[in-house]
Amino acid sequence: MAESYRRSRWTNGLFVVPYLSVFLTLLVFPLGWGIWLSLNKVDLFGGERFIGLKNYARVLSDPIFGQAVKNTLIFVGVSVPTLVILGLFLALALNKTSKGSSFLRGLFFASSILSVTIVTLIWRIVFIPNDGLMSLIFEFFGWQPIGFLSTTGWSLFSVGVATVWWCIGLPMMLFLAALQQIPKDLYEAAALDNASRWRVLTRITLPSIKSTIMLVAIIQVVMQFQLFGQAQLMTNGGPAGSSRPIVMYIYEVGFLRWDIGLGAAASQILFLIILCAAMLQYWVSTRKEEVDA
Amino acid sequence: MKAFNYSPEHLTSNRQLFWIAAVLGVIMMAPVAWIIGLSLKDNAELLRGTEAVFSFPYTLLNYANILESSSVFGWFMNSMIVAVGQTVGVLLLSSLAGYAFARLEFPFRKTLFIIVLFGLAVPEQAVIIARHQMFNWFDLHNTHIGLILPNLSSAFGVFLMTQFFRAIPKEIDEAAMLDNASTFRIFWKVLLPLTLPAQATLGIFTFLQAWNDYWWPLISATKSDMYTLTIGIASSQTNFAQSEGLGFLGAQAVFASLPVVIVYIFFQRHIVTAVSGGAVK
Amino acid sequence: MKKLLLGTTAIGLLALSPLANANTTIELQRFFGACEAEYGKATDVSAAVGECGIITTLVNKFAAENPDINVKVSTVEWPGYDQLNAQLASRSAPDVVSMHYSAMSDYQSRGLLVPLDKLLKDQSIKATDFTDAAITSVTKEGKIYALPFDNWTMLFHVNNNLMKKAGLMKADGNPILPTNRDELFSQGKQFKDATGKPYLVQVLANETATYARIFYTLMMQQNSKFFDDPSHIDLSGQDAKAALTFMKDIVDQGLSTKNLDYPAAVSAFSNGDGGIAVNGTWLIGSYDAQSKESNNALSNGYSVFPVPQFFKQKDVTYTDGHGWVVPRGDRSDEKMAAIGKLFKFFYDNNYEWSRTGHLPTVKKVIASNEFKSLPHRSDIAKIAKTGQALPSAVLRQFAIQDIIGEELSSAISGNKSIDDALKTAQYRVNDLLENI
Repeated sequence: MAESYRRSRWTNGLFVVPYLSVFLTLLVFPLGWGIWLSLNKVDLFGGERFIGLKNYARVLSDPIFGQAVKNTLIFVGVSVPTLVILGLFLALALNKTSKGSSFLRGLFFASSILSVTIVTLIWRIVFIPNDGLMSLIFEFFGWQPIGFLSTTGWSLFSVGVATVWWCIGLPMMLFLAALQQIPKDLYEAAALDNASRWRVLTRITLPSIKSTIMLVAIIQVVMQFQLFGQAQLMTNGGPAGSSRPIVMYIYEVGFLRWDIGLGAAASQILFLIILCAAMLQYWVSTRKEEVDA
Repeated sequence: MKAFNYSPEHLTSNRQLFWIAAVLGVIMMAPVAWIIGLSLKDNAELLRGTEAVFSFPYTLLNYANILESSSVFGWFMNSMIVAVGQTVGVLLLSSLAGYAFARLEFPFRKTLFIIVLFGLAVPEQAVIIARHQMFNWFDLHNTHIGLILPNLSSAFGVFLMTQFFRAIPKEIDEAAMLDNASTFRIFWKVLLPLTLPAQATLGIFTFLQAWNDYWWPLISATKSDMYTLTIGIASSQTNFAQSEGLGFLGAQAVFASLPVVIVYIFFQRHIVTAVSGGAVK
Repeated sequence: MKKLLLGTTAIGLLALSPLANANTTIELQRFFGACEAEYGKATDVSAAVGECGIITTLVNKFAAENPDINVKVSTVEWPGYDQLNAQLASRSAPDVVSMHYSAMSDYQSRGLLVPLDKLLKDQSIKATDFTDAAITSVTKEGKIYALPFDNWTMLFHVNNNLMKKAGLMKADGNPILPTNRDELFSQGKQFKDATGKPYLVQVLANETATYARIFYTLMMQQNSKFFDDPSHIDLSGQDAKAALTFMKDIVDQGLSTKNLDYPAAVSAFSNGDGGIAVNGTWLIGSYDAQSKESNNALSNGYSVFPVPQFFKQKDVTYTDGHGWVVPRGDRSDEKMAAIGKLFKFFYDNNYEWSRTGHLPTVKKVIASNEFKSLPHRSDIAKIAKTGQALPSAVLRQFAIQDIIGEELSSAISGNKSIDDALKTAQYRVNDLLENI
C-alpha cells in the first residue's frame, strides 16, 4: 500500500492542475504575449503591425526612459540599504521580551498594513508647502522652506521617505525572526570571553543572519524597482521627470499615449533589469561566502 | 568587576538602542498624529492656517460628512472581497500544488516545478499590459473576479508551501496510508492541518499584497462601483479642483485605514508570529 | 404561512417594479473635483460657487427634476484620460464624460465617440445656437461630437489691495498691468520692493498644463507657425526661444512663486501671498465670491484681465474648452433619450456654468443681461475674439502638453539650458506624433 502512494501516478498530477492552469493562462501566456506586443506597433485600441525590435530601439533612445532608469536606480540604491540598515537596527534594539519592545515592534510594522494611497495621502499632507507639517516645523525654527515635492532632488527623496516609512516593518520582522534563531550558546561563549558588544555584533550576530540580510535585500530590491504608486500620487513624477520611475514611464506610455507596444518593450527591459539585479546580488553573496570559506 | 548578564538578549540589545528606537517610533507616528489632528478640525479653520491643529476647538464634522455621503463603504467592501478572495484562492492553489510537488510522484514533476520556480522571477510589470488586453477579450475588467485572478498566478505561494510540506516528517502520511486513506484524504485531513502556520504566513502576505495592490486595480477597476479602497482614495485626491479640505482628506485616510488597523491591533501577535515564521523557513 | 410569505414578496415586488422599470441610469464621469461633503445634497444651483459646486448641484437638480433618470457620477483625477483610455479599451466607458476640446480629436479619429447630431436635434438644440468658437471645436468631419459647455483661457487674476500698496493702481480703480515684457519686469520689481511678495502666483510645481498653456499663448502672440504641420512640432526658431527666455527670466528675477502646486497656488493667491495669479477662467467665480466677504486678502480688491500682449505681432491668447461627450458603446434608445435630456438641461443651464468664470457657449446666454451683469465679464470680454486653440488636427494634445510643460520646467528651474529643453521637447513630441 505504502509503495502505491509513493509510486508515480498521473492522477497525482491532478493536484497541480488548478495552479498550473492559472500559472499558464495568467503568467506564462501574458509573458509571451507581452513579448509579442513589444515587437508590434500596436495601440490600446488595436492595429497590430509587426515591426521587429523598433520599439526597443525607441525605448532605449528615449532620454526620458534613460532618466527614469537613472531615477529608479538611485531610488533603489538609496532606499534598499536604508531599509536594510534601519530594519536591522530596529530588530537589534527591539529584540527583547519587554512590553515596550513589543509595542514598538507593533508600531513599526503597523504602517505596512496601510495601502499606498493612504501612505501617500499622509505624506503629501506632511510635505505640502505652507500648510504641511514640515513647513510648520521649518517655520517654527525659522528655516528657509523647502519645496519637498516640487524641487529636483528633494522630490525623489520625499518619495523615498514615504516608502521607507511604509516598508520598514517587513525587514524588521524578518531580522527579528532571524535573531531568534541564533543559537544561544554562541552568546554564552562570547559572554565568557568578555567580548565587547561591537565584537559580538560583528563576529556573532551579523554572520549568523547573513542569509537573512541577503534575503531582505533581494526582496527589497525587487519591490523597490517596482516603485509606482508613491511617485505617481505624491509628485506625479515631477518636477521635470526627476522622480519618474520606470514603472510610471510604462504606465504613461501605455495609458496616456496609448502606445502599448512601446510600453510592453519597456516592461521587458524592466524585467531584465530586475532579474540582473537580483542575480548579481545573489552572485555577490555566494562569492563572498566562498572567499570567507 | 561588573556582574555580567549572560542572557543573549543582553548582548544584542541594550537600553540606549531601545530609547533610540522609541524616539524613531515617535517620529514614525508624527505624520499619523498630524493627520488625525487635521481630521478633527473644521476645514474653514484649516484654510486660514494649519497651525490651528494645535488648539481647540475640535470637531467630528469631517467624519460625519464621510458617513453621510462618501463611497468609502463600497470601496472597502470591494477591497475586502478582493483581498479575501485572493487569499483563499492562493492558499488553496498553493497548498494543493505544494503538497503534490513535495510529497507525490507524477510525470514531469521536476520539470514542472522548475518552470514554476522561473515564475518567481517574473514581476507584475512584465505581464500587466498583456494581461490587460487579455482581460479585455473576456470582458473581465470591472469585476471582482477580474481583480482577484491575476495574483493567483504568483509562484511565491507554491514555492513556500512546497518547502513547508517537504519539512513534514514522512512517517506521518505513511501512517495514514496504512489506514488505506485516499491521497486526497491524506492531504486534507492529515497534512493540511499541520501546515497552518505556513498558511497563516502566506495568507497574511497575500492579504496585505491584495489590499495594497495599486496598478492592476487602477487599470482594471475603472468604474467607480468597482473601485477598491486604494483606487477610491486615490480618485478623491483630485488635484485640479478645489479640494474638499485637508480635514476631510485626513478624515478619509483615518476612516479608510481604521478597519485594518483594528484587525491589526487584535491579531497583532498572530500576524507578527506569522510574518516572522515565514522567514525562518 | 407560505401564502403570507408569497403575499409579502408580491407586495414587495410590486412596490419595487415601477422604480425598476422606469429608472434609466446614466453613468457620468467628470473632472472638476469632488465636493460631496459641501454640495452632496444641494440642489440650489444659484447658491453654489466654483466649478465643483456648480456642476454637483446642477446634476443633483437634474436628478431631482427627473425622478425616472438616475445619474451616477464618478469624479476622476484631472484630466482622467488615462482612466478613460483603460475604460474604452475594456469597453466599459461611462455614458457621459467631460472632455477638453483639445482631446477630442484623439478619440473621434478612432471612432471612439458617438456623434450627437440626432440627440441634440431631438432636443431641438441647433448648431447655430452655439458660438462659432464652441461649435467648430466640437465639430469633426461635419458631425458634432460633444455638447460644448464652455470656453476658457488663462487670465491675470489681480489682487488690487496689494497692487495699491505697490502703487500700481490707476485712478479709475483698475490695476496698472504691463503692456509689454519690459513693463512686466519693472512693475514686477516695483511690486516686489513695495510688498515683499512675488508679483506673479504661478503653478510651477508638479504641473505641466500651466507652463504649456502660457507658452502656447506666447508663441501665438509671436504669430509662430510651430504647429503648421499638425504631425510635426517646430520649436527650433527664435520665437520658441524668446517665449521660454521670457518665462525663465520672470522666475529668475524672483517675480514668481516657485514651489506651488495647483491647490497651493490657488490658495496662495486667496491668502494674499502674491499680486497676480496666472490661472484659468474657472477661478473667477470663487475669487469674486471671496472678494465680497470682509476681512480677507481679496476683500473689495479683486479684478481679472486677459493675459497681456507681451509680443507685438498678434493679440491672441491660447484657449480650450470643456464639452460633454458620449463614448462608443451599446445604449438603448431610452438611455440615449435620457442623455439627451441631460444635455438639454446642461444647455439650458449654460448661464449657471458661466458663473464659474468660463465663457458660455450658448449665444443666447452671452447676449443675456444676467450674463452681462456678472462681475468682471466686460474686462475679459475680448478673449472671445482673441482666443485661439491649437489646430484640431494635432493629436495627443494632452501628452504633448505634458512633454512641453516638463521640458519648460526643466529649463526654468535651471536643470537644462533653454536650447536643450526646446530641442528635447521637439524630439519627444515628434517621436510621439510620428509613432501614432
